[in-house]
Amino acid sequence: MSRPKGFLVLGRTMAVPLSRVSAVTGLALLTLMLAACAATLSLGRLGIPLADLPGALTGGAGGKAAFVLERLRGPRLVVGVGTGAALGLSGALFQTVTRNPLGSPDVIGLAAGAGAGAAAVALLLPGAVPVPFGALAGAVLAIALVYLSTGTGFRNPGRLIVAGIGVSAMAVAFIQYVVYAVERDKATVLTAYVNGSLSARSWEHAATIWIVLLVTAPFAAAIAGRLGLAEMGDETAAMLGAEPGRTRTAAVALSILLSAGAVAVAGPISFIALTAPQIARRLTRGTGPHLMLSALTGALLLVLADLAAQQLPLPVSLPVGIYTLGLGGLYLGYLLIREWKKGTL
Amino acid sequence: MSTTGLGARDVTVSYGGDPVVRDVSLDIPQGELTMIIGPNGCGKSTLIKTLARIMKPERGQVLLHGRDIWSYRGRQAARHVALLPQNPVAPDGITVRGLVRRGRFPHHTLLRQWSPDDDAAIGFALERTGLHDLAEAQAGELSGGQRQRAWIAMVLAQQTDLLLLDEPTTFLDIAHQYDLLELCRELHREGKTIVAVLHDLNQAARFASHLIVMKDGRVVTQGPPSQVLTPDLVAEAFGLACDIVPDPRTATPMVIPHASLAHGVR
Repeated sequence: MSRPKGFLVLGRTMAVPLSRVSAVTGLALLTLMLAACAATLSLGRLGIPLADLPGALTGGAGGKAAFVLERLRGPRLVVGVGTGAALGLSGALFQTVTRNPLGSPDVIGLAAGAGAGAAAVALLLPGAVPVPFGALAGAVLAIALVYLSTGTGFRNPGRLIVAGIGVSAMAVAFIQYVVYAVERDKATVLTAYVNGSLSARSWEHAATIWIVLLVTAPFAAAIAGRLGLAEMGDETAAMLGAEPGRTRTAAVALSILLSAGAVAVAGPISFIALTAPQIARRLTRGTGPHLMLSALTGALLLVLADLAAQQLPLPVSLPVGIYTLGLGGLYLGYLLIREWKKGTL
Repeated sequence: MSTTGLGARDVTVSYGGDPVVRDVSLDIPQGELTMIIGPNGCGKSTLIKTLARIMKPERGQVLLHGRDIWSYRGRQAARHVALLPQNPVAPDGITVRGLVRRGRFPHHTLLRQWSPDDDAAIGFALERTGLHDLAEAQAGELSGGQRQRAWIAMVLAQQTDLLLLDEPTTFLDIAHQYDLLELCRELHREGKTIVAVLHDLNQAARFASHLIVMKDGRVVTQGPPSQVLTPDLVAEAFGLACDIVPDPRTATPMVIPHASLAHGVR
């Protein structure tokens, strides 16, 4: 039997597509992310010196290093990696369904809806419902509103984006209303639900996002091939037996779960879901939804943004969501310039 | 006339409103190059999509080897019947080989997305469509005629008994239309059973070995072109008065229109 090129073969029963360029890109992203993680743990006033890091990670830390690793930066980093991966994966799934880079959970109101749900549950009904369920309910409601108001479901990306921006704006307005209606320290509460932040995360947050990620990832991997076929149009996918309707429903459901999980632990962090899949796509120049690489890129982007949030010498420390917002602005600018140069704008 | 095992039984199909295909029963004949013709909106594309398990009939059944085609799993049915849709989309950045490889999906499983027959099937499909030298080219950079051949190669790689084509010549210029029809005829002569929806009466009459004529969602008649195509039929199905003369090159029937009956008849 000849060995197939571009496949990862395990025994006689398993062969999954893995091109050389994807494998190399994946390893490079992983290496960069490990470096960013090490920098996150070791930089700054409270950082654990690089030389002490291996010892601290294997349990040999005591005193200050243990506190930094176990209470301060450790959980924050683990939440950051998980949330970034969840956002990247969520974006890749949704963009493949809508066949449009702007048809992304953060643009079309999924993230803002989840934020509104989380804010409503956490501030209006404290303790009644766990925050992640509030986020999920908000995300589902927002996406249902978008779905219904386009009149054509998710088929027409143009309408989807317009409806999504509307729903997104309403959700943000609702978050502001909830925050101001509740008498609290408005500034910090606002920050948590409008921009998304990774400061002061606990291991509970880490467990939440990683459970969501580990539960959804196998399903995402299982539909990856079918999603790739759906890119050729519904009729082509259907005649190949790829059941495009069911595949789309599954992808949207997984995307909602991932976004809601990310919002529940870190608030609505924008533009990671939008940019990560596009960067992954450009890095490989291949076809397909690039789920794994999008997740890796998302994790790397968020860890880097959070590293900047923690270490940049600014007079006030900003939530990471502001940095990703800036990153997204740059990316949108780049997209506009590229389209303008191509003459399509 | 032996059948391929694909057929329709009292099939009615609609897009939610009035039926587009009404109570159609037919069997696709084995080893023929069947062409379905009829005026716009007669339901010919809907019928071929229903036969390919893309659209679900409202009433009636599409049978594949005696069983309702919807009782098969998607990939299982796709190992018997392939359909090239009217508007397939080539994903960004895909090569011709990558596109053709996608036709192998029905032969894969979730964990085994490769099969030992893949290379042979893809190689044959590329060879047969004359795209061997363009295998590594970007699908987006092909000419219209080459791209349509690449899509044909994809459905050939699927290695089905039956090949269905939904208006395969629509977006091609005239020379490439004949080029594609010649390819269909060659594949038919090599033993492939093909069903194509076609717009052009004379092309259908020239290349088909079996014609199915539709009007208003029903099959008006079917059979070899030389028997089926009569001035009365063309007037009835298309509302066109014409003479039928033998094609000077192929001796197949050729339609010479008088004038449209569209205003006079209705």
